[in-house]
Amino acid sequence: MNRGALYFMMFPLLAAACLFQATAAGRIKIYGVKPDLVLLLIVIGALVYGSRPGVVWAFFGGLGLDLFSGGPMGSSSLALMAAAMVAGFGHRTLSRFNMLVPLVAIAAGTLVYAGAYLSILAVLQYLDVTDHRLPWLSTVQSVVVPALVYNTTLMVLLVPLLNRIPESQDL
Amino acid sequence: MRRDIDRRPWSFGDISIRLLILVLASLVLMALQVTGRLEPIQSAVALLTSPAQVGATGATESVTDAVDFLFELRNLRQRNAELEQVNSNLLVENFELREVQRENELMRQLLSFAQTRPGLDLRGAQIVAQVIGQESNNFLGYITLDLGQSHGIEVGYPVVTDQGLVGRISEVSDTTSKVLLISDPSSAVNAILQSSRLNGVLRGNPGGDLLMDYIKQGETLSEGEVVLTSGLGGRFPKGIPIGQVVEIRQRDIDVFQQAVVRPTVDLSRLELVMVVTNFDPLEDVPELLVPLVPESVPAENATNPLDGEVPLDGSTLGTPATGETTPGETIPNESTPVEGAAGEIEGEQ
Repeated sequence: MNRGALYFMMFPLLAAACLFQATAAGRIKIYGVKPDLVLLLIVIGALVYGSRPGVVWAFFGGLGLDLFSGGPMGSSSLALMAAAMVAGFGHRTLSRFNMLVPLVAIAAGTLVYAGAYLSILAVLQYLDVTDHRLPWLSTVQSVVVPALVYNTTLMVLLVPLLNRIPESQDL
Repeated sequence: MRRDIDRRPWSFGDISIRLLILVLASLVLMALQVTGRLEPIQSAVALLTSPAQVGATGATESVTDAVDFLFELRNLRQRNAELEQVNSNLLVENFELREVQRENELMRQLLSFAQTRPGLDLRGAQIVAQVIGQESNNFLGYITLDLGQSHGIEVGYPVVTDQGLVGRISEVSDTTSKVLLISDPSSAVNAILQSSRLNGVLRGNPGGDLLMDYIKQGETLSEGEVVLTSGLGGRFPKGIPIGQVVEIRQRDIDVFQQAVVRPTVDLSRLELVMVVTNFDPLEDVPELLVPLVPESVPAENATNPLDGEVPLDGSTLGTPATGETTPGETIPNESTPVEGAAGEIEGEQ
């Protein structure tokens, strides 16, 4: 796979990941959480191609997620864009061929994604726009930490594949 | 591996503008959705995506069944080597038939549920909906059904299976609808314990457990008790099973007791559900259920706003005997209302 192939496959991959996330992902739950495949793709995209295309993929990936979600439209986009920005630091700044970089990127991406998403819901609830109440502490304990472990484990499995993709220029 | 060091001059302005535009687009989308102007587009998109969801869900079930089948086949081999070939042949032959049979059994159970509850308007296949999608993220608890406004589904309708309560319709498009599950943290259901007749509010937890809160101190409840909808609040019909108490959390310093409830319905493996279409849910009654008790009041003096003095039929919903109070109107109470107590408990969502 060369850099162009992944770049152009990103949108179809995101569409498939969104559909998978809304249908089959529930079957592979571990400790009550399913993997964030869209987030994984966005982080990989941002690591390989940088934040600039990363935020665009994050925007559309988030819209795809929100289509199948009961949450407010655009909230996942904002959260994923924040995660893409963070993961983009691993592009060029650090060599992503170092094993730790993808793992730290997905861990940080998961935390930023969760933090941003929960913050957006909290703000919207404070503004009385929506009624999504999520208790922060128990959400972090029961959802964010297991998701972080799950996503990082999946990234460990994906690292050999990721290392075969040549680093690209900033797009 | 050689790293490509040739690159265009990095422009912070470029990404800033890009980010700004996309953030603004997200906010505009949120605003459009909140004001309801995104509904036609969402309906159209749902119309386009629902076949893909149906297909993906079907494929997932097939794969799951196939995996189950393989495990089952392995066990059969271990148990009886002589019958291995016969069993595998029969299983292959019956694979599709078993799927049909399983669906048939489920439909029979749903029909039985409908026949034993003549008060609910469960009109055959029209209100039996297939679950075609689940919540796409880990934070919320929703499912998507293949029935929508064109099938008579409206926001607020309760959703059940033959085993108990699933949730309520929260969003409807022409052909699909979204159900807020009882396990979602935003969900709250007024519930009653079947044996002790204690009332409380059942909330979802991010971990998937249900927590029954606002159970009066000093009262005795036991593990294993069945939890039913109380009908208070007017969002759900009375008497639908919700779950079973698996743990009681009682501390003398707390105003109320809590109970951890295991739902009777496996909310992670829903396939077919029923939408109760003749139940007219009330939307604005949370003030009736707000406790008028300051947090500092000792437990023995605390009064539970959901307590049993109110008849449990859904018709009264906590209103005074005169029944003249309209939804949303606050009922005068002998207790002194204390600011800050409100919001600790709210009506069903």
